[in-house]
Amino acid sequence: MSASLIRFENVSKAFGSTVVIDDLNLDVRKGEFLTLLGPSGSGKTTTLLMLAGFEAPSGGTILVDGKRIDDLPAHRRGMGVVFQNYALFPHLTVAQNVAFPLQMRGVPRGEIARRVDAALDRVQLRHLSSRKPSQLSGGQQQRVALTRCLVFEPKVILMDEPLSALDKQLRERLQLEIRELYRREGLTVVFVTHDQSEALTMSDRIAVFNRGAIAQIGTPADIYDRPANRFVSEFIGETNLLEAEVTGRGDDHLDLALEGGPGIRVPGRCEDRAVAVSIRPERLVLDAPELDNHLDATVDDVVYQGNHLRIHLSCGPLRLVAQSERRIEPPVVGRKVRVSFAAEDCTVLTE
Amino acid sequence: MLIAPLVVFLAVFMLWPLWIMISLAIRDDEVSEVLPRTAAALADWNGEGIPGSAAGQALADDLRGAERTRLGPAVRRLNSDISGFRTLMARTQRAADDVTDGAPIDLVAVDERWGETRYWRAIANAVQPYTDRYLLAAVDLERDPDGAIASMPEGASANAAIIVRTFTIAGTVTAICVMIGLPYAMLIAATGGWVRNALLLSVLLPLWTSLLVRTTAWVILLQNEGLVNAAITGLGLSDTPLSLIFNRTGVVIAMTHVLLPFMVLPIFSVVNAIPRNLMPAAASLGAPPLRAFYRVLLPLSMPGVLAGSLLVFMVAIGYYITPALVGGADDQMVASVIAFFALETANWGMAGALGLILLAATTILFIVYGRLSRSGAPIGA
Amino acid sequence: MLRVIQVIFGTAVAAFLVVPIVAILPLAFTSSIFLNYPIPSASMRWFDELAEEPVWRMSIINSLVIGGAATLVSVVLGTAGALGLRHGRIPLGEAVRTMFLVPMVVPPVVLGVGLQITLVRLGLANSHLGVVVSHAVLCIPFVVVSVSTALAGIDTQVELAAASLGAGPLRTFRRVTFPLAFPGIVTGGVFAFATSLDEVVLTLFVAGPNQRTLARQMFSSIRENISPAIAAAAFLLIVGTLLLAGLVALLRWRERARPGASE
Ligand SMILES: Nc1ncnc2c1ncn2[C@@H]1O[C@H](COP(=O)(O)OP(=O)(O)O)[C@@H](O)[C@H]1O
Ligand SMILES: [Mg+2]
Repeated sequence: MSASLIRFENVSKAFGSTVVIDDLNLDVRKGEFLTLLGPSGSGKTTTLLMLAGFEAPSGGTILVDGKRIDDLPAHRRGMGVVFQNYALFPHLTVAQNVAFPLQMRGVPRGEIARRVDAALDRVQLRHLSSRKPSQLSGGQQQRVALTRCLVFEPKVILMDEPLSALDKQLRERLQLEIRELYRREGLTVVFVTHDQSEALTMSDRIAVFNRGAIAQIGTPADIYDRPANRFVSEFIGETNLLEAEVTGRGDDHLDLALEGGPGIRVPGRCEDRAVAVSIRPERLVLDAPELDNHLDATVDDVVYQGNHLRIHLSCGPLRLVAQSERRIEPPVVGRKVRVSFAAEDCTVLTE
Repeated sequence: MLIAPLVVFLAVFMLWPLWIMISLAIRDDEVSEVLPRTAAALADWNGEGIPGSAAGQALADDLRGAERTRLGPAVRRLNSDISGFRTLMARTQRAADDVTDGAPIDLVAVDERWGETRYWRAIANAVQPYTDRYLLAAVDLERDPDGAIASMPEGASANAAIIVRTFTIAGTVTAICVMIGLPYAMLIAATGGWVRNALLLSVLLPLWTSLLVRTTAWVILLQNEGLVNAAITGLGLSDTPLSLIFNRTGVVIAMTHVLLPFMVLPIFSVVNAIPRNLMPAAASLGAPPLRAFYRVLLPLSMPGVLAGSLLVFMVAIGYYITPALVGGADDQMVASVIAFFALETANWGMAGALGLILLAATTILFIVYGRLSRSGAPIGA
Repeated sequence: MLRVIQVIFGTAVAAFLVVPIVAILPLAFTSSIFLNYPIPSASMRWFDELAEEPVWRMSIINSLVIGGAATLVSVVLGTAGALGLRHGRIPLGEAVRTMFLVPMVVPPVVLGVGLQITLVRLGLANSHLGVVVSHAVLCIPFVVVSVSTALAGIDTQVELAAASLGAGPLRTFRRVTFPLAFPGIVTGGVFAFATSLDEVVLTLFVAGPNQRTLARQMFSSIRENISPAIAAAAFLLIVGTLLLAGLVALLRWRERARPGASE
């Protein structure tokens, strides 16, 4: 892995007496696409604002290339920021917007014109260069905002929910465009979103935020398949989270009793007595005797969801959701079924 | 610190003037400035009998050397309490001039009236730096010789009547503005397209036009040979021209015209924000149109009516120009009387006292209005 | 039926509001010496009178000079004040804001009594400067309100964006904040000028014979010797304010045609 470009060391931030960020440690590696993902109010924006220099940390320090940047004002940090509502200058044309950072850096006139044209060319917006932002569509405004920040070749690009104001289709197209731009230009990106599917789509790594702290950081697959705690397992994707009691411990497995009695075997080790087990709905299979664990359940409801079925089940006091492909014969509501799952598809969570 | 220049500017040219105006109403240094030593000597006199000889001494010292121009108003003031003070003070000053500073003098020997308590009491009252006489006079009250508050004799002052008249005119205008403004604002909100724009423009146009011009217009229109009377006689509604100007009718018409936009705009902004589907919803729930209006639209419009009424009333009670130009002698409001006292008789105490009453009324209305609108900024600005 | 009532009522009220203003315009062009209809023939004599009669002439010049100066003073002070209040970090911010708006509601007569004495004490009685500052007091709230409104309409993220693109605080102000607030400043200035032009009451208290403004002159000639010159003066005021209103409307419209980055 390449070296860390940005490092948060024990950073905290309080507004008055409310602590918003609590002892944050985070590395952003050079050339990576790192996403800060978390529910609204979890401190993502605050983290980004501290990095951009719009908020001062209450404690700790932020390093860029190993140097502290605490005393550097925002306009000298050289970080590109893309704001949620684009923050284009409404009184300037597209070209003037894009020229702005170059003018601030004293780039000669001729070179500005050349670089602005080239940058607008790359996003196919050159024909709009004399328009005002209000005459552009949302997607075009978003591209101008991106271009304006790419044009001065910042060390890192910070984006705070840049796509949340767009409709779903446009959002998905721009996700790919941004990803493509990132790869082509070799950028380092810190991206903020509260949309987990957006995070999974775009990121090299995801830092999941919860109440001002990082709940888990890792690749999308890590986060999805091996959530470190209940918060992450519930926040990312959908899951069956079952309370359980440890009844036996093997070398690399645990025997658990679920609520209501049934026993299952899962991989892992732990010292606690009370744990939770997370099983993704698509890992629950009906009538698969070859798997490790089985539960007898009743079908409560079957919901068609286009390309798959959602099957709501109850097993004593437990409520489960299974997801299966349309190809199988849909179970009849009220019928007794046997639900099976592999031991390695279970994640034991202690916190 | 960008606000500092403006704060200083307003402190000097707004707060200080207002403070001066307030102090005009309650300060009374006409006499105490001319007779400072007397004031000091009388400070701990209990008002019974006659004060000790030190007071007479101080009075003589004050009078000796007193400038005629400053003594004049003070004596006039004392003479208005007890007539005869003028001659008494003149004689005393002559006597004082004959002795040197600090030499003992027996005032009772100069004039035996100095042996009477009431003359000393009048001076003792007059040298108090603060007074309530102007404020009392503003509502036709005064202090009788014993210091108790009492009504002024009938016909001595018309101030209370003028205050009542001010509130009556402002109230009438406010009521008429509600009666015209509420349906008109609802009408604007209910229409669309060019009609709505035309109706709105006819509210904004007067708002934009100079107040003086609008008042002038009414002076011209309402005169006996004016267009309004021409129309009335032309239509055969009356044989002789109606008297519409220099009376209450003219004042109310012109002020309604001037203030109506301040009523329409707040109501319109409230009514316009009421969701369009509430009346259909009420209808679907079984309310006939009139019931729906009374139960839904009217209550929801009330905040606008309240804001507009406060605004109109607040502006109306301070009106000067319109009554001055369109009204007769019996239609002048408090502001006119203040201007009269200040500009023509230099009676600053009365100007200040009436101003203070007007300011207090406006302040209360402004605070209520601010609470209601929460924005603090009057609408229509 | 309801519809008929609505039409009649709406027309009547609109006519009540507009007709008086329109009705006096033609009288400015009467050739008669009476300020009344019918107009015997059209003539410019009353405009000539305004231009030639020394009192009218002086009052027009005074109005323009005093109005211009009061506008300048109130725009400079009011804009600075609005900027200072903007982020609400001032202690007692609400009280200060209220103070800035108070001149709008204090009865002018009350302010006039106090200002007359204040200006005497400051040695500004019967001076142009005294009238200018008095008018500026009344104009300031309009500037503060319209500049504050313009500033409130600026998305603060736009200024953060400028910083992130390398603009320091001063350049951010010059290149971003000021241009965006400019229409509001002009609007405030127009309001200020119109306010000063129309001011009578304070002028009565603080102006000497040499500071007579057009409005003040109109006021006393209506009281003393009413003549069509008043209609001519009113014509000038109406046309002047309508032109100014048009300017503001144009600015507002341009602003609206440019909803900015906030969507
Ligand atoms: N300027 C501020 N003053 C007070 N509280 C703030 C301020 N900015 C953010 N907060 C609080 O900090 C918390 C985190 O906010 P934020 O970083 O914007 O969250 P996110 O971007 O993850 O939604 C929220 O509870 C928010 O209310
Ligand atoms: Mg956020």
